[in-house]
Amino acid sequence: MTRKTAAAVVAGAFLAGCSKKTQDTAAAKVHLVAFSQCNNAEPYRAAQNDLLARIVGQSKDLRLTITDGQQDTSKQIAQIETLIPQKPDLLIVAPNERAPLTAVMGKAMAAGIPTICLERDIVEPNYTTYIACDNLAIGRMAGQFIVDRLKAKKGAAKGKIVEIKGLLGVEGQINRHGGAHEVLKQYPDIKVVHEAVADWLQNKGRERMLEILRAQPEIDVVYAHNDPMAVGAYLAAKELGRERQMFFVGVDALGGPAGGIRKVMDGVLAATFYYPLAVDKAMEVGVRILREPGFKPEKKYTLGSEMITPANAAQMYQKLTF
Amino acid sequence: MSGRLAPAIGRLQSVLGLVIIIVLASALSPRTPGGELIFLQLGNVTDILRQVSEIGVMSLGMTLVILTAGIDLSVGSTLALSSTTVAMLLTGWRPGLPAEAHIWIAIAAALLVSAVAGALNGLVISTLRIQPFVVTLASMIGIRGLARRLTDNTNVDIGFGQDVSARFADTASRKLLVVGVFAILAAIFAIMLTRTVFGRRVKAIGDNERAAIFAGLPIRRTRIWVYTLCALLAGVAGVIHAAQNHQGNPNAGVSYELDAIAAVVIGGTSLAGGQGSIAGTLIGTLFMGILTNMLRLNNVDSNSELMLKAVIIVAAVWIQQARVSLFSRERSS
Repeated sequence: MTRKTAAAVVAGAFLAGCSKKTQDTAAAKVHLVAFSQCNNAEPYRAAQNDLLARIVGQSKDLRLTITDGQQDTSKQIAQIETLIPQKPDLLIVAPNERAPLTAVMGKAMAAGIPTICLERDIVEPNYTTYIACDNLAIGRMAGQFIVDRLKAKKGAAKGKIVEIKGLLGVEGQINRHGGAHEVLKQYPDIKVVHEAVADWLQNKGRERMLEILRAQPEIDVVYAHNDPMAVGAYLAAKELGRERQMFFVGVDALGGPAGGIRKVMDGVLAATFYYPLAVDKAMEVGVRILREPGFKPEKKYTLGSEMITPANAAQMYQKLTF
Repeated sequence: MSGRLAPAIGRLQSVLGLVIIIVLASALSPRTPGGELIFLQLGNVTDILRQVSEIGVMSLGMTLVILTAGIDLSVGSTLALSSTTVAMLLTGWRPGLPAEAHIWIAIAAALLVSAVAGALNGLVISTLRIQPFVVTLASMIGIRGLARRLTDNTNVDIGFGQDVSARFADTASRKLLVVGVFAILAAIFAIMLTRTVFGRRVKAIGDNERAAIFAGLPIRRTRIWVYTLCALLAGVAGVIHAAQNHQGNPNAGVSYELDAIAAVVIGGTSLAGGQGSIAGTLIGTLFMGILTNMLRLNNVDSNSELMLKAVIIVAAVWIQQARVSLFSRERSS
């Protein structure tokens, strides 16, 4: 029994130390914003959380709680189910997967909670509004950039491309691949000579690229589905002294020293494409839902991307570093 | 007599497996425009050595743990903790020391943190008598959480400039250094296991714990040291990982523990403890590295690669077992 008591005391102390304060303050009119994040442990999503916390922190009448689904759909569903009885004034969901999250977001809507669906849509429109990001358009922009750059470099649209893919089957991977190929396949002299999968990770990007460099004597472009993989590929090429023979293109364009924009400024990447953090738009719409009783949001807002090259990198770095 | 011959035969069989995979990889290797086999190019061979070094260093410690009939699932998380620690100390800390001293302190701190994590594993396992699988499963989760909390889920980036962190990454990622560290550690651990009292105790505990207790061996202390060393090596791998990838990533090293365990068991070390060697682990590590390289040079689809590896792991261990039963029949006759 003493052992149990001791364990309980330790656990209690630990919880008290770790958990963020979630009790309601006595003052009324404090709106609770709940964000169901699908996975904190990705740099893009960590940046989303940071930006959201910053935006919410600017208003005294807003309070934020973030749950982390840890890339596990059933965990995220359970977390939303726990949030619903707490009656948040605004619920933002970044769904881990489309289909399984549809029903629980319907429950939140039925409970009268304004619900914002972020970046990935769900099967039924169980949301107040949907903030969409367009990976297909980003893929197309990247493809077009590669074509233009090759034309400038070689005088014609020809060249050899290595593509480094994100985790297979994920929407971002499929559309960043598909969009680019839509453009590239119009030019028969542009060939994708090697496709490798690096699961979004810098170290895997580096490892795959080392092997590719051995097998491919001639490479003009490396197109990676996110910036860390492009940086990893650059590290591999640099090690073999071949980084000047090719240019590197990434996607995401996060701010901060670890983000892709900094890598464009450092001359590592030729370009990267901004994948919107989306939480700023969500709060812009969300705050209006909270404060303007008559406000009817549109059912869907699609956010554009932006190309970041050395020409605008410094300016975008300022804008997107929090 | 067979008692002496058996390990020799066993080693021969493992080496044979390695030879087969080398021949296969050479035969299937794509060629350069000049007609050279890419697989056998010096650059590619040293690439393989460097690529296996992280898992290789971890599998040395894992060999000790498995020899005691234990397991350590926390090494992947420890690698992440070590690589984020070293990266954070190099980028976020300005001690005003010369660059070299700064780098050494950062590395020492990362190794210390890792060793402490391992010592805790060993302490809990030997004091509370909870199974190593459970304890290290828990620390795998907890250490990952710690690494993520320390970094706030973000990658700690080592830039491309001229500062102390970039200098660390450039130096510590050199091929010769990475492979050299692996080679030296392998030699140290091979000698430790075969030529020292500590090594014999490690094997004795795994072979027959009860007998080891009756023989008065310091089981508790040995166990704590084994887990401490295992985590320390994961820490070394973490420092190399940070340098090679220009970042401290709190999500690095996921499932590395399984790769390390695979290398150890392919090398003929028994999960039941007591039997195995560092040489075997080296063979297992190289075997997996060459196999991976062979498949990737041929641009084999990554999902097929996983399926193929699954078959080969089971086949390799099965061959090892066939050898053991063959030997035991020899002895009984």
